Amino acid sequence: MQKNASVQLTESQQELERLRTVILGEEHHLITDAVNEQARDIVGEVLTEALHDRQKKDGSIDKVLLPIVEASVEHSVVHNSDRLISYLYPLLGDLIRKSVGAFLSNFIEKTNQLIEYSFTVKGLKWRFKAWRAGISFTQYVLSQTYNYRVEHVLLIHKETGLLLKSVNLEQQSQNDIDLISSMLSAINDFVGDSFQTSKDGQKEQLQTVSTDSFKLLIRSGPSAIIVAAVTGNPPQQVSEQLQITLEEIHRLYIDELDHFDGDSSLFKNAENQLRDCLLTEEIKTELSSNKKPWFAWLLITIVTIFIAFAIESGYQRTQLKKLIMNIDQQPGIVVMNINVKSENDITLDVMRDPNAIPIEQWFNSHQLSFKSLNLIERRYRSLSPEILNRRVEAIISHYPDLSFHWKNEQLSLLGNIDIIKYQELTTQLSDIGITSRQLQIQQLSLDNSNDFAQSTDVNQQIFKDLIGKISTIQLNFEVNSNQVTPAMQMDLKLLAEQFRYLIKLAKQLNINIGLLLMGASDNSGNRNTNKKLSMMRAESAAIELTHLGLNRVQMFVTSLGQIDIEDVKNTSRKVMFNVIYIDNKIKD
Amino acid sequence: MIKKKICLLGASSVGKTSLVKQFVEGIFNEKYLTSIGVKIDKKIVSVKQQEVQLMLWDIEGYDRYNVFQGKYIRGASAYIIVVDQTRNSSLQEGIAIHALARNISNVPAILVFNKSDLQANWHLEDSQINQYIALFDRQFNTSAKTGNNVEEMFQAIAELTLKE
Repeated sequence: MQKNASVQLTESQQELERLRTVILGEEHHLITDAVNEQARDIVGEVLTEALHDRQKKDGSIDKVLLPIVEASVEHSVVHNSDRLISYLYPLLGDLIRKSVGAFLSNFIEKTNQLIEYSFTVKGLKWRFKAWRAGISFTQYVLSQTYNYRVEHVLLIHKETGLLLKSVNLEQQSQNDIDLISSMLSAINDFVGDSFQTSKDGQKEQLQTVSTDSFKLLIRSGPSAIIVAAVTGNPPQQVSEQLQITLEEIHRLYIDELDHFDGDSSLFKNAENQLRDCLLTEEIKTELSSNKKPWFAWLLITIVTIFIAFAIESGYQRTQLKKLIMNIDQQPGIVVMNINVKSENDITLDVMRDPNAIPIEQWFNSHQLSFKSLNLIERRYRSLSPEILNRRVEAIISHYPDLSFHWKNEQLSLLGNIDIIKYQELTTQLSDIGITSRQLQIQQLSLDNSNDFAQSTDVNQQIFKDLIGKISTIQLNFEVNSNQVTPAMQMDLKLLAEQFRYLIKLAKQLNINIGLLLMGASDNSGNRNTNKKLSMMRAESAAIELTHLGLNRVQMFVTSLGQIDIEDVKNTSRKVMFNVIYIDNKIKD
Repeated sequence: MIKKKICLLGASSVGKTSLVKQFVEGIFNEKYLTSIGVKIDKKIVSVKQQEVQLMLWDIEGYDRYNVFQGKYIRGASAYIIVVDQTRNSSLQEGIAIHALARNISNVPAILVFNKSDLQANWHLEDSQINQYIALFDRQFNTSAKTGNNVEEMFQAIAELTLKE
């Protein structure tokens, strides 16, 4: 029985062996051919699922696809750029907006950090510590801001020590990275050979190199070494990631690594794997992502307030200056300079006529007051009509019976005045710059009815003054004319009044008087004619004086004819007056 | 870019470091030589419009105080044995190093008689010297002091590594 059973077993084994030969032996191509015919269908059937499963398993699909997709896009950009642009066009606006927005928020955030680290106590402390550690402030800030940050990742061929590929966090190129790679592998070899080999025959490997500012994490595989330069304190996670990446690279590039002949371009696409190792972790307590950039906003607010204040105060000063400048419109005040340092600190340099409004009074009337007013006031004499009017007003106020008004820059006097007072008045007016030519006295009645209360000596003095005044009066005639003009009438009116007053005084002083009228002419023309013309001029004046109430009996009219004095002979068309007086007391 | 590792070997004071110094400006201090036994420099040369980056491993001189640093030869695309032509012994030592290196690597090797600015001081027959030269792929007479033949030698080694 047993034997039968063993024979059956042997037979079935033989059949199995035959089947194996059919499938895998010389005829196995029958099977593979059949499969190959169906290959497209079979693979097509499960391709998507297989990709999905593999990606899920170890995430290797996207890394394999990435360079293919990149190459396709590159090809598309070079050869079908028009089509690509038309695809992207609708997206560009949004992209730019987003990019600008991101830039601005990043800028604010960075400004905030800068301010925070520059001006705060913490910032100063960090600066000191960075200085003490001998590293740059930026580096120190990074080390304090990040728990850790993988700055560079290097992939080194183990046997040759040549750099295959490197990636940096910042897009900066490292010139000496090739040398560093080789030196690192030499050091690794040195360590491996110098220290005791472990029991299982494995050489010692360098795992970590630490310096003040960074750490090198080194993971060694059979054909390649991966090195990460890290700032801060890298957690285990980084080492694990290095190990995973190293294994992945070994799996994907096993042929390239084994047959490496110095051509590092074969490892261009390993960048995708290496980038996985550029891990970073910020210190949460230091910079949480939703932290408001208070410092930046504070700075912006302060600057804005300062600018607004500067503009406002500048505007205020300008307005104030304009307001004060109005004082220049005041008669008798000339502003030389205004310096408005602030609303309460003003320097004012003016020239002011004594009759002009006082500066303080003007300020008060305009509700202006200053804590610090530096007033430089210099006196001057204004010729403005308002100031002249004020001066006249001041003088006339002493004569209650007089009033005045201006007409064409001529001062007209109205009312009654004693002839003696009138003499005083004209003197005062001439002192303030008003000449007899600017004076109109047609409406002025000169009074000589005053009693002579004064002493004889005083009256005698007045008598002589009046004679003197009369002798200063001269009438100027036109060429070949004896006509009395209105201006002459003015003079004659004054003369008549003065002479009448003189008669009164003379009577009191016991003096006899007479008025001499002397006509004269220039030297053009016939001497006899000139003699006659001179006479006619004196006669015209005498007639006018008679009309003004003087008695012809008291007048003596004579002709001087030509005045043969070199300096005056061309213009001496005049009638001159003088008073002849005889003191009866002396006569006796 | 093609990168190649090249080793410089030889007895002490034959001028290996000076040869490299003549050829490149490196970043590492020469102190590395005495601390870990190797100093590495880089130079890019052009061979038939192709750039080759040579990583030059200047390995500490081999004498009775220093063991042969075989570990550094691994992965080299070529190596240079440098001897001092004014010292007979340096040639003997160079040949010994060559023999040791051959145990590790079978890459092209160049024999360099350095200090060519000085008078040669061999006590050897020409035929004997030629016998030694025959052990190498190329031979050069160089002077690290004047720079004579230095560029040419490194150019030749770059070409050798590409032929391989």
